[in-house]
Amino acid sequence: MANSNLPRRIIKETQRLLSEPAPGISASPSEDNMRYFNVMILGPTQSPYEGGVFKLELFLPEEYPMAAPKVRFLTKIYHPNIDKLGRICLDILKDKWSPALQIRTVLLSIQALLSAPNPDDPLSDNIAKHWKTNEAEAVETAKEWTRLYASGA
Amino acid sequence: MATKVTADLIETVRSVVGADFSDMDIIRALHMANNDPTAAINIIFDTPSFSSPAVDRTTPRKTSAPPPVTNSVSHANKTPTPKSIERSDSNRRHGPSEGEPSSADWWLIESAQVAGLSTCKGRRIKAGDAVSFTFPRSVSPPKSGKFPGRGRSMAAASCSEIVRFSTIDFGEIGRIPNEWARCLSPLVKERKVRVEGCCVSAPDVLGIMDMVLLSISVYINGSMFHKHHRTSLKMSHQPTEGSVVHPLPNLFRLLGLTPFKKAELTPEDLYTRKRPLDPKDSPGVHAVTLPLEKCRKLSDDGSKVGDEGEAISDSDMDRIVGVADSSELEEMEPPTILQCVLRPYQKQALYWMTELEKGGCSDGAATTIHPCWSAYQLKDKRGLVVYLNVFSGDATTEFPSTLEMARGGILADSMGLGKTIMTIALLLSHPGKGGSVCPLSESSNGSNEDCSISDQPSPDLKRITSISGFDKLMKSKKLLIGGGSLIVCPMTLLGQWKAEIETHIQSGSLSVYVHYGQSRPKDAKLFAQNDVVITTYGVLASEYSAENTEESGGLYSVHWFRIVLDEAHTIKSAKSQISIAAAALTAERRWCLTGTPIQNNVEDIYSLLRFMRVEPWSNFGLWNKLIQKPFEEGNERALKLIQSILRPIMLRRTKSSTDKEGKPILVLPPADVQVVYFELSAAEKDFYEALFKRSKVKFDQFVEQGRVLHNYASILELLLRLRQCCDHPFLVMSRGDTQEFSDLNKLAKRFLKGGQDADSNDVPSRAYIQEVVEDIRKGEKGECPICLEAFEDAVLTPCAHRLCRECLLASWRNATSGVCPVCRKTINRQDLITAPTESRFQIDVEKNWVESSKVSMLLHELELLRSSGSKSIVFSQWTAFLDLMQIPLHRCNFTFLRLDGTLNQQQRERVINQFTEDSSISVLLMSLKAGGVGINLTAASNAFLMDPWWNPAVEEQAVMRIHRIGQTKSVTIKRFIVKGTVEERMEAVQARKQRMISGALTDQEVRSARIEELKMLFT
Repeated sequence: MANSNLPRRIIKETQRLLSEPAPGISASPSEDNMRYFNVMILGPTQSPYEGGVFKLELFLPEEYPMAAPKVRFLTKIYHPNIDKLGRICLDILKDKWSPALQIRTVLLSIQALLSAPNPDDPLSDNIAKHWKTNEAEAVETAKEWTRLYASGA
Repeated sequence: MATKVTADLIETVRSVVGADFSDMDIIRALHMANNDPTAAINIIFDTPSFSSPAVDRTTPRKTSAPPPVTNSVSHANKTPTPKSIERSDSNRRHGPSEGEPSSADWWLIESAQVAGLSTCKGRRIKAGDAVSFTFPRSVSPPKSGKFPGRGRSMAAASCSEIVRFSTIDFGEIGRIPNEWARCLSPLVKERKVRVEGCCVSAPDVLGIMDMVLLSISVYINGSMFHKHHRTSLKMSHQPTEGSVVHPLPNLFRLLGLTPFKKAELTPEDLYTRKRPLDPKDSPGVHAVTLPLEKCRKLSDDGSKVGDEGEAISDSDMDRIVGVADSSELEEMEPPTILQCVLRPYQKQALYWMTELEKGGCSDGAATTIHPCWSAYQLKDKRGLVVYLNVFSGDATTEFPSTLEMARGGILADSMGLGKTIMTIALLLSHPGKGGSVCPLSESSNGSNEDCSISDQPSPDLKRITSISGFDKLMKSKKLLIGGGSLIVCPMTLLGQWKAEIETHIQSGSLSVYVHYGQSRPKDAKLFAQNDVVITTYGVLASEYSAENTEESGGLYSVHWFRIVLDEAHTIKSAKSQISIAAAALTAERRWCLTGTPIQNNVEDIYSLLRFMRVEPWSNFGLWNKLIQKPFEEGNERALKLIQSILRPIMLRRTKSSTDKEGKPILVLPPADVQVVYFELSAAEKDFYEALFKRSKVKFDQFVEQGRVLHNYASILELLLRLRQCCDHPFLVMSRGDTQEFSDLNKLAKRFLKGGQDADSNDVPSRAYIQEVVEDIRKGEKGECPICLEAFEDAVLTPCAHRLCRECLLASWRNATSGVCPVCRKTINRQDLITAPTESRFQIDVEKNWVESSKVSMLLHELELLRSSGSKSIVFSQWTAFLDLMQIPLHRCNFTFLRLDGTLNQQQRERVINQFTEDSSISVLLMSLKAGGVGINLTAASNAFLMDPWWNPAVEEQAVMRIHRIGQTKSVTIKRFIVKGTVEERMEAVQARKQRMISGALTDQEVRSARIEELKMLFT
């Protein structure tokens, strides 16, 4: 069982996530795999995602913390840096990963990404194009999607 | 022989021997000389018929026939070389009359009659006709371009020995005897002499082989007298002129010039095989090898210097002769300022050293001729006296006094007899304060002023000398400042020398200056102000190699009163820079201290003799011919000769040597050395095995990549951890490195100094630094941002982030650099600073204390000794282990002291005194390195060596601390070795090392041996 040999760091992080969760973020490990986390991020206020509850999955690979956790949106979201499979374009999840980062910091970063979409470094070309050509319309679509898919129903 | 003769080597040799020798000849010579160019040159020059011997043996008739010779004759006639113009001109102008004053620089040596042989038929020469001489073509500089054809110059080489004479009217008449030619040619070639001649008698009409009686006058050039630097520069020739045949002495002999004072020692003495071998029966041998005795004898004779050959009396000899009967030596009281009592044999050594330093002729030294030199009165009307070194062929007009001879010797007492203290006694007896007279440099300054490298025999030879690295010796002597005593020792003994001098003499009676370190001043005056200057071989070598660039200052600008080489076998390899550097020092008295004067090869001795100026043996050619080669060939005589050379200049006693009454000079109680083998406990074994496996994986990787030697340091670190594990597993968890920044202020400063080498953005803010430092100061636990635990062996990055060392390094892709996980700044491993903490252990060792098997073993042993009241010393290489051992010692109520490298000299003394005097103290914890040398711990009678050291000699040195002069109780030494671990295998490596030291291995062999050694450890 993967849990039997869980590094102290992961246990510690989990404990802290549970005991002092970051505002707007909840993360809890799966019962059968302590490396797999069910995550919920509230859409930040003053963003197209406000009011939405976004589900994500987070997995800590064997090499963690020397390798970045793998994170993916489960909830559909209209965002230039997130593709339709929920994959996230965020440097700290790729080459800018540092072992000094934690699950908490990763999730906070994702939350920040929702507040500040970056269409210049897109993952989803169509959405990015949309964002750049007609931001108001794109924001409307995002709000629409949030209502449709992330209303917590 | 697989060795290849390279073009370089051929070129080197050719540059000296000239174009007269073919490539094949040179290659042949190189083969004979094992590719040593110097030796090859000597082979070529020493073997008159070296090239094309067949032609050389031809009759004069034949030699006159071949075209090249005709060519040379016509040259001499029609287009004479510049030299022959000059010569014939002067002949014409002044005529050949004898005694004609020559030009200022040419001094008539002597005139003599020579029987030349006619090489022509029908030509005429009559009495009184001036003749000019044509020297072999090699006279002209090689590659003159006149004979580009190699074949031709080869033919010319065949007559390279032949000196022809000719008249203006008829051209070539004949040749002079080979004997004359051989010694004249090289001298004329080097412009040291020139020859004038005229016919005395000859047949009316010449036929081939008719005798033509010539009168020749040989003039010697004054420059020759200057070129010879008699002090340190003398040996400069030797490596190149391995030859022991010198033309000048020969020429003097042929000219019938007899010395009015003959050299005491001559090469002939040494060559005669009939000479009796046993020095005891043969004063003659001693005369050869005992210049000291000779000159004492001479000075006693006063004016009767010519009186020679008398055997020195036995008693005279016995007074000095070393090894065999040193018990008979007189004792000499050291000056009262020496603060310790010398033992009788040490007083004997003092007497012996003092005698040797006198050189036997305290008053007469300056007026007594050096036994290797002969004195000649030249025929020149100006009445010049020339001194000729019969060994080197050097000539000089300066009086070669015995002052130049070896004054000093080899003190070769074995370890523990107190060579250092004997030397200090000598220093005190004759301090030779800086600024004292230095007769050599002063007397020779005048003439040496104008000498320079250009006085070298020929540009070619000079080139060779520079190859062998001796060119620096040729440097003209500048005014030297008179200095005191210079002590050269290995770096590790630097402190000990200073400490020993300071402890053993009344303070202020000798001033001591340690010349060491990067910023050491080069001011010679500073040396002169101090009685004793201590330096290391490393400093010596670097100042020697820097000497050309920095003309002023340094150890070479001083004429030392005395030089002492401690551990003198350091210079044993004669070709090494350090050996050359030592020999190049200028000094009046020279001493070698060594317990092992010969380490592996008789050549080791040569280097010492060269340093000490034991003539004539600093001439390598002579040494090689008479000693080294015969010795290597197993010739008994060579060994005897070495012994007889050493006997007068070496004093060697061992611990078993006896005094006059036959009692041992040093009575030491027996020492019992035991090795205690034992096993690790099961838990320790598990730990060890795990560590071992991990280390072996890493090691095997290195082996696989073939990078073992590149990763030597990492491998040693792996081994270190394994070795520490055998002591106590806690040690493996200790923090490995420096305490450099344990001072927090220093740490803060280092960070805050910032901005110098980086963008100011990169430098952490002052506030942040202060916070970090404050955290550390308060002992704030904090946690590592990677493992989220309390720091384990924390390091600080240059950006002032704190992480566990392991965590940080694990986050990097390569071992030497990476980014800071916190701020992503790129950092290098060497920039990391070990964050200071209270404990060097990662865990609270006091609270979690567990005894390791080794510690239990020690406690068991100590417990057995507790009732006996005898004292013990516990050695370890790791101060961390000393830390650990303090815990159980406290708990078991042992009173103990500790001595390690952190203590300064005073603190050390206090610890040692307390340990010696306070009977309640039973144990002294000591780091192996701190306890290495110079410390006397005879109050203890037990020693425990907790961990084996690579070099058994270091262990032995430590043991010597208790088993030495002053020990009254029998001594027990126990070495702890854990079975089945790296410790046991280290023992095997130690044994192997001993073998390696004794047998000479090539570099490649050593490299592979090192790899083998490491593999042994990881099996």
